Amino acid sequence: MAKVQVLNVSVLDNPSPFGNPFQFEITFECMEDLPEDLEWKIIYVGSAESEEYDQVLDSVLVGPVPAGRHMFVFQADAPNTGLIPESDAVGVTVVLITCTYRGQEFIRIGYYVNNEYTDPELRENPPVKPNYTQLQRNILASNPRVTRFHINWEATMEKMEDSENVDPAPNAMLPPTSMPGKAPPLGLMPDNSMDCL
Amino acid sequence: MKLLKPSWVNHNGKPIFSVDIHPDGTKFATGGQGEDSGKVVIWNMAPVLREEDEKNENIPKLLCQMDNHLACVNCVRWSNNGLYLASGGDDKLVMVWKRAAFIGPSTVFGSSSKLANVEQWRCVMILRNHTGDVMDVAWSPHDVWLASCSVDNTIVIWNARKFPEIVMTLKGHTGLVKGLTWDPVGKYIASQADDHSLKVWRTMDCEVRLQTSSCSPEMLCGGTTHVLRLSWSPDGQYLVSAHAMNNSGPTAQIIERDGWKTNMDFVGHRKAVTVVKFNPKIFKKKQKNGSTPKPSCPYCCCAVGSKDRSLSVWLTSLKRPLVVIHDLFDKSIMDISWTLNGLGLLVCSMDGTVAFLDFSQDELGDPLNEEEKNAIHQNIYGKSLAITMESHLSSTIIENPEMLKYQQERQGNQNPNGAQGSSHENQTPKLTNVLNGESLEDIRKNLLKKQVETRTADGRRRITPLCIAQLDTGGPAAVNSIGMKSNLLLTSASKIEPMKALDSRFTERSKATPGVTSVPLTIGITPLDRVKDSSSVKEPKGKDETSSDSEDKGMVKSLSMAKRKGEMEGAEVVEKRKKGRPRKDAKMMMPISQPFPQVTFLLSSFKVSTDAITYLEVENEVSVVSGARLSQLKWSREGREWDMLLTSRIIIATGSSDVVAVACEDRTLSVFTTCGRRLIPSIILSAPMSALHCSGHFVMALMASATLSVWDVQKQTALVKNESLNPILSGTDATVSQSFLTQQGVPVVSLSNGKTYCFNSSLETWNLIADKQDSLVQCADFRNCLTSQDALGSMGPLALTQSRNLSAGRLASRFSSTPHHLQQGMTLAFLENQLSSSLILLSASEYRHWLLIYARFLVNEGYEQRLRELCQDLLGPVHKSSSSSWEPTVLGLRKRDLLTEVMPVIGQNLRFQRLFTEYQDQLELLRLK
Repeated sequence: MAKVQVLNVSVLDNPSPFGNPFQFEITFECMEDLPEDLEWKIIYVGSAESEEYDQVLDSVLVGPVPAGRHMFVFQADAPNTGLIPESDAVGVTVVLITCTYRGQEFIRIGYYVNNEYTDPELRENPPVKPNYTQLQRNILASNPRVTRFHINWEATMEKMEDSENVDPAPNAMLPPTSMPGKAPPLGLMPDNSMDCL
Repeated sequence: MKLLKPSWVNHNGKPIFSVDIHPDGTKFATGGQGEDSGKVVIWNMAPVLREEDEKNENIPKLLCQMDNHLACVNCVRWSNNGLYLASGGDDKLVMVWKRAAFIGPSTVFGSSSKLANVEQWRCVMILRNHTGDVMDVAWSPHDVWLASCSVDNTIVIWNARKFPEIVMTLKGHTGLVKGLTWDPVGKYIASQADDHSLKVWRTMDCEVRLQTSSCSPEMLCGGTTHVLRLSWSPDGQYLVSAHAMNNSGPTAQIIERDGWKTNMDFVGHRKAVTVVKFNPKIFKKKQKNGSTPKPSCPYCCCAVGSKDRSLSVWLTSLKRPLVVIHDLFDKSIMDISWTLNGLGLLVCSMDGTVAFLDFSQDELGDPLNEEEKNAIHQNIYGKSLAITMESHLSSTIIENPEMLKYQQERQGNQNPNGAQGSSHENQTPKLTNVLNGESLEDIRKNLLKKQVETRTADGRRRITPLCIAQLDTGGPAAVNSIGMKSNLLLTSASKIEPMKALDSRFTERSKATPGVTSVPLTIGITPLDRVKDSSSVKEPKGKDETSSDSEDKGMVKSLSMAKRKGEMEGAEVVEKRKKGRPRKDAKMMMPISQPFPQVTFLLSSFKVSTDAITYLEVENEVSVVSGARLSQLKWSREGREWDMLLTSRIIIATGSSDVVAVACEDRTLSVFTTCGRRLIPSIILSAPMSALHCSGHFVMALMASATLSVWDVQKQTALVKNESLNPILSGTDATVSQSFLTQQGVPVVSLSNGKTYCFNSSLETWNLIADKQDSLVQCADFRNCLTSQDALGSMGPLALTQSRNLSAGRLASRFSSTPHHLQQGMTLAFLENQLSSSLILLSASEYRHWLLIYARFLVNEGYEQRLRELCQDLLGPVHKSSSSSWEPTVLGLRKRDLLTEVMPVIGQNLRFQRLFTEYQDQLELLRLK
């Protein structure tokens, strides 16, 4: 059970020119006071082909987080156009918002992004070298893809070592490898709307 | 008898190993196997009880799901007071759950349909000791202890008041221990194990000894059932085992308390008995109308579940079972739970389903009420059950009708409309909006500009999130459909193709974000260290810290602005000023306010009453008349305005509903009425002015020489005369970060180290009233003493100094491992601090606010001495005597009125009914006078 639940993400300033900063207004709820900050990141996927072109647009710490409902606006600069393959500049890509606690990612919110020329002329005959000043970025805000991961919210590992006392029960239910790790395999994602796993 | 199988109670087809109905009957818990973890689910009882509630879509069925157990959950049990749920599972853990007060219902962002948890239960304690699967857990009467048994052949008795303290580990079984039951009298605990034995352990204060190892090995069986849940009858006379044999037929063995005789058994099941559960009520024969009431022997009722998938219900007065239900399930029965009224029964099975049986009183008989039940106990054991273990001597019988009224009101409040099936909503704490009157929309518009962003030491951005609700609003804030203009063209095939390629990116963690595995393998720090660690982490990052930071910043900004002006005028002025400081001790220095720039400058606008806003404008060097520079002060409120010329440049001006005070560069202080009439000739100050405040007809001046003066300009007296700040400043590097004057003329000074002091003119002392680093504040947990209107907090000088988001109790949740008595002590100390602070600040409303919380806390925690002293002080002497120095009022509040408010609070705890009666009578007496 995650201590932090993302309640809503509003995409602000959308659609907007390609060079505008990204702005997400994030509302989240926290079950109890968090001793450490949350770390949020915006990742721009430069190319569907490879993670190589992923750009972390910005990462920000959010804290302190007492129990309750909170909101903040996460603003990050537009991606560095120099790092985007020219062939992938126009068209559909993805922007990801991730949140980690104690270095563990527990939620990933993805949006499709459509980059298009507003000028019909350019749309018909796109230049070989993308003209970023003419591109419009449109985030498909109505359809966020949310993936949640189980993480260990506590600072300490759960002490699970077996003592020398022999366990009399043939405890076949838990293979030892999966015992201490708090994070079950990714298959356990009850809220995930996608079936790609 | 009615029988129902609610199909919606399931773990997606996975086995349900345990079921337990909450003592208040509004919900029940199931435990069992989850997808790839253990699962505990809390369900709403109302849809089980009533068909219309089942059909009503607005009534939630599932209240909360917890998948924290790493492996199958074998047992779930509510504490007798209903506050906690204990669960034990194959992961060798016992978890103790508590309802999280903060969070209410929430939907899940990004998911289309799935209903989220309506109630939030969080694990407050993980009890680790067993080295094998935990098979059964049991709360002792009065929830003093929690017992758990395991396949490691041991039983652990936990101190439920000081988790995770272990009272005792009971060793003696030579097989897997699969069932536990407490004697309702609290004297014994019985366990049954696969070693063909049933052991009765005697509990003596803090010791548990083996009383008897009952039953011959031939009689009891083991090894073939998953659980062996035995049960003790409510009158304490009989203990019934699971899985016994009699002539090679499976039975449930009855063991008499008297001599542990084993002469009787419940016979008839075709396979092993897995679970026995006594009805909590004792019954007597239903009296038929007209017939003369015959004295009939009270009897008990017992349900027996078996591996043969059938359930039998027995009355101890009958030789044959009352009812036997065959083929109720496809697999073995695993657990049984009765409702507290004794008429309902939930049964769960390995096949993953649950059945509900509803009996009528005609079938079972008339349940004895608590009084009759106690009389039986009195008869048998010479004492009533309710008073064992606990010092509840005075709480069993209600002696005072007033007390009864409060008790009934209280019960009424606790369970206002259980019939509606929505009572859980009423229990959800009311929301506290901390938005300060602004609508969410307004806030959202400016959030980006408003939010506090800082840089950490390593240069990273750090945003302080805006807290929009401390408690849950349960409102539509979670709605996540933000309208989207449908001009997005994603139709062409070429565009869809890359989307497929992109899909995986939504779920796969990229290199950019570290995976899960990195952290869980950190070294195991002992829990104690962790607490220390987290508190030390907290301090430098505390929210209060940042807020005071921003205050500082605001101040710096205004100063630097003034400075810029000074530089424009020529650096000499600044130089001179530095030299001209009255004392060398730089640490004591206050920042000297600089003159305002020449241009018109809106100095301050403040609200003096509910609607009128007053504007003060200062214009320095407005004109030069015969070499003298004149400055102008402009005052306006609701169209009325006046202005006043002064001969020296104005450095600070401020006002209140009654007066306006102006400090000038020539170290004079002038005070005017709100009509612009000068009240007193210029006061000559000993040093340049640093801060000036007005409140009512009080004026407070903080000089650069670190001295403080407060005058009452109406009475023309000095309340505080040039009092030095040395006592509070010496020995620290702190500077004054904030100062203000309360409505009652009490000066308050906050330092940058987070401490806040006020000066008491009658004691002539500085008093510490708030300390942001105070660990008492952070650990005090009095949330359960707050009523819904209290939760909104009190407004007043004390709340102001302690910042609006009083962090009290913020750490409390994390200190659940702190021994209860320690936290109790911290809370008590904190509340007493608050009370005396509001007293010294002369803040009547806050005094009342904290007094009531304090009283509630004393009542909840049972501090009789303090409560008595408090009442005595509030009541005063009943008969007038000249020698008495008792003041009938405190801060203008009549003490006896306060006592009248405190009385209902006291009335909520039966333990204090003597005290209640005593003071209620005296109050009544005084009222008649």
